[in-house]
Amino acid sequence: MDDSRVFQRAALLVVLAIASTVPASAQSAARGLEGMWSDPPVTIMGRLCAFACSDAGINAMNALLDDPANDAVPFATLQRRAVERHTEYVRSTLSELTLKTFPLDPADDPSFLRCEPWGLPTQMLAPHQLEIRGVGADRLELHYGEWDARRTIFMDGRPRPPGQAPTRLGHSVGRWDGETLVIETVGIARSLMWTGGAGVTTGGFQTSDQLTVTERLVKAADGKTLTLTATLTDPVSLRAPLVLKHVWRWAPESKITPYEDCQIPTEVKRGVK
Amino acid sequence: MVRLGSLILLWALLVARVTAHHAFSPVYDDRRTITVAGVVTEFRFVNPHAMMSMDVTDDGGRVTKWSVEFAGRLNLSEVGWTAESIKAGERVTVTGNPTHTNSNGIFFRKLVRSDGSELLPAAAQRESAIEQERRERAKARQAK
Repeated sequence: MDDSRVFQRAALLVVLAIASTVPASAQSAARGLEGMWSDPPVTIMGRLCAFACSDAGINAMNALLDDPANDAVPFATLQRRAVERHTEYVRSTLSELTLKTFPLDPADDPSFLRCEPWGLPTQMLAPHQLEIRGVGADRLELHYGEWDARRTIFMDGRPRPPGQAPTRLGHSVGRWDGETLVIETVGIARSLMWTGGAGVTTGGFQTSDQLTVTERLVKAADGKTLTLTATLTDPVSLRAPLVLKHVWRWAPESKITPYEDCQIPTEVKRGVK
Repeated sequence: MVRLGSLILLWALLVARVTAHHAFSPVYDDRRTITVAGVVTEFRFVNPHAMMSMDVTDDGGRVTKWSVEFAGRLNLSEVGWTAESIKAGERVTVTGNPTHTNSNGIFFRKLVRSDGSELLPAAAQRESAIEQERRERAKARQAK
């Protein structure tokens, strides 16, 4: 065997050795987030963050629980107070225009009235399952149980195609900041955003097509939970960035089941809080 | 049989708000509850909301059709429900929120089978864990 062949073989062995030391999870665009996540752990904070929550609501709940005077107060009452603080925070970020109609009547929700799937602002906070999957080296797919919605996250930094009309879930580009997945989304069509806490679709307002969303998804050190921190900016509907959170638990046993039996309501009462 | 029972509703049922694809307040009145007993004719374990149909017979023998709406399969399957959790032909008693118009519809809060076994919403099934966490937190605070 001549020297050049020996060198080629040695080089090949070095490449194979390096490849074998790379964890399997790092070879997927989804890294350690890949797999099925679902409803948060059965905890007080998990309950609070089953849909949208905020630091304001979380801090309020912690303060309520730390006060011995509340030990005999029903949990539902404490939760309602924490959600009120959360709603006050949401209100403080809304523009004058949005405040004129906030909160929107749940009876005017297009998902309820016409079975129209949610736009990104609500979809990203949806209860129940979220399946994250790498598609090749440069894409992620986020599959939500609610509405059976699927998003593609481009990990190669490609810009939104020029002239592309806004869409329900927008154009999303992702990157890794250490172990945190950061997703930037633009091009989101006007949407109804539900900000209600504790798993209830309340506190709605309309976002504009100038909305941008930055999602930061990070897995807990023990791997059991996934936390989303979403920052929304919109010069039309918001006066300040709105930061909302959501928590999922690691749930490999959970399954996304068909979402095909939405019924348009036959009776609707407006003005009910 | 239809009984009004708004004042005796269990606290656990009051806190068991729906986690679903929309608020239920435009259709159902969460300030009132009713109890309806009858025979299941169909249970559809689907998304976004599971549905049950039942025949309710009044004291005069007249049968009326009722529908019961639940959270969705995505939600209920997380606490162990399956398509077999409720079977056609079963005699059941359902407690829940009536519609604003008092039509023959109800939003599920509790179901009791003829053998006394119960079904509760996902949130209500989790109340004991929440209360346990509260107790542990209070205990830790007192120990400081």
